[in-house]
Amino acid sequence: LSSVPLQILLYVNGFYYVFYFLATLAMIVYKSQVFSYPDDFLAPDLALLCVMAALEALRLYLALRFLRGSKGNLTEEEAPLGLSLVVTVGSVILSVYFLTWQTYVLRADVILNAVLLFTYGLESVLQVLAIAAFVG
Amino acid sequence: VAKLCACDLLVAQCDVNCCCDPDCSAADFSLFTTCSVPIVTGDSRLCRQKAAVYSLDVEANPPERVFKLTEQVNPSVFCIHATNYKQALSFSSPEMPTPENFDQLLQKFGSATFSAEPDGWNMNPDAPNPSDANETYRYEYGVPIQTVDAFLRLPSPVVSSWCSDANPAGFLVHQATKCTRSVSVENCGNIAAASMLFYINSSILAVKLPWIVFQVNLTVQSVAVQSPNGMRALLNSSDLLRHPVILDELCVNIVLGVSYHITYTDTGEIIEAAASFVLGAINKEALSIQQSFEISFTQVNTAPVPLSGNPGYVVGLPVRAGFKPQGYPFPSIIQSTNKYGQLTILQSTPSQDCLAAQGARSPVLFGYNMISGCKIRITAAMKCQPLAQALLDLLKGQSFPEYVASFGNSQAQDVLDWVPVTHLYTSEQRICNTFQSSCQIPVSLEIEVKWTKYGSLVNPQARIVNVTATTTSTTLKQLPVGRERTIPITSSVVFTDISSPAEPGYKAWPTINAKLPHDFFFPFV
Repeated sequence: LSSVPLQILLYVNGFYYVFYFLATLAMIVYKSQVFSYPDDFLAPDLALLCVMAALEALRLYLALRFLRGSKGNLTEEEAPLGLSLVVTVGSVILSVYFLTWQTYVLRADVILNAVLLFTYGLESVLQVLAIAAFVG
Repeated sequence: VAKLCACDLLVAQCDVNCCCDPDCSAADFSLFTTCSVPIVTGDSRLCRQKAAVYSLDVEANPPERVFKLTEQVNPSVFCIHATNYKQALSFSSPEMPTPENFDQLLQKFGSATFSAEPDGWNMNPDAPNPSDANETYRYEYGVPIQTVDAFLRLPSPVVSSWCSDANPAGFLVHQATKCTRSVSVENCGNIAAASMLFYINSSILAVKLPWIVFQVNLTVQSVAVQSPNGMRALLNSSDLLRHPVILDELCVNIVLGVSYHITYTDTGEIIEAAASFVLGAINKEALSIQQSFEISFTQVNTAPVPLSGNPGYVVGLPVRAGFKPQGYPFPSIIQSTNKYGQLTILQSTPSQDCLAAQGARSPVLFGYNMISGCKIRITAAMKCQPLAQALLDLLKGQSFPEYVASFGNSQAQDVLDWVPVTHLYTSEQRICNTFQSSCQIPVSLEIEVKWTKYGSLVNPQARIVNVTATTTSTTLKQLPVGRERTIPITSSVVFTDISSPAEPGYKAWPTINAKLPHDFFFPFV
């Protein structure tokens, strides 16, 4: 009982996130060279980006574990998916931070984060549906 | 953005070809040829921003300035959409210096580099240490005057009133001390500090360091002898050193007072030193004497003129004033020799009776508003004219000056530095009396001194600009016989500060001063 759209979306999310992480890191480096970016403001931004990467990895692992099942079997646990949903909330907050509360928000940042938030939204809906289908 | 202007350099004046200058009128705009600043925007890296566009419409007659407020969009992907860092896009405006924060600003920004770290990290001394190795041999203010063996001593009371000989005299520090020393007739010749030799024993070093051996001998300038009842007599021959000896059961030639006079040059060297003594005698019952010591400094080739400030007036010092006599060989102001007698007002006496005042006057001190007065009892027998003259003399004093010095150190020969006193006469009655022969007596004198702050913002000097003496008279009606009337007479001095606020000063444009030599065209001219 695996949700194929959710699986596809999760894989796409994984690739997109790698691109997002590299692009954001590159843009922070660009901003620190072009603009006045003191260390007090640079450190939180980089730290939160790393935290976001960790959360994302955790989230994707939990969601995919539910869908693929461990040891090849379909394990019928909704706990990983629920946990993944909770972690998604954290990721959303971090994405909103990079969208509005970053030190410098470039137009490229806006585009990247908007796409990421849209992806999260879609994933959350599909995850909720999957949990509902599984429980019910 | 509409209010910003990069070419508006002169305050309250129209800059040429500056279309955004708010000080320019339409007539000025019609004379411009181009706009030096065509567009004023914020940071161009922002995604959307307001822009003020200025241009000259040359087709219109006369040419007009066109001002448009538009919105500029940056098409790049890497334009700044928003920023949460306030200092990113604008320069913070610096603090305006005021007398309160000037020292702190000078400490922060006075050196060649400004540090972004808080104070206390880089202890960058802002002013270079002024004393070089070459200059330490000169005497500076407060440095103890050195003699061959130690310092020039000025005995003074330390804890109790007994004299201590360890007090050095500081250069340019005027001191006057009084202390008690125990002497008795028995050890008359043994007490060193009671004999003249003790005070002129060693010679003073002209400069500070001992390896430059220029010595100045202490000479005896004058000797006065004080008799037991306090009368002093100056001795004619003052070159003899007198030692304490016992004479008729009295110990005479005891030093009761020493007054040192040091003459120095403006480079900090001492060139002359003289001491004036007061000698006295003690009898058998005396166990101690009181000695007084004084030291004063005079610069060489100057006469010690009592200044009231250098150059601005110092609050509390008397206002300098004088006369300019006509027909004098060269223009000069004559001042009174008494420094407290130059500009004076009536002094109130406890009896409050004007005629009994006996001419007591108090000096006008700069910055101190004063008011004084007295009462005069007018009887029917008093005649008007002598009474008016007496009151005028009372109010103005014997010699009311005509000129007041504008600076505390104005010299007598610089006549233009002196401000003339303006005299005004007003009458107390508002209605004009048709009977002009009625008696007018002066009842009040008000001296208004207007002064301003002159010079730099951090060290303003007080300068007197205007002095007005207003005499107010009132009509004295003839009294019936036997009746008396008491009229109050007042005299006051008011100091008003009319300083204008500090203004920025602009330097003139540099000019090229190129002239051909007058024989440039030699064969032809």
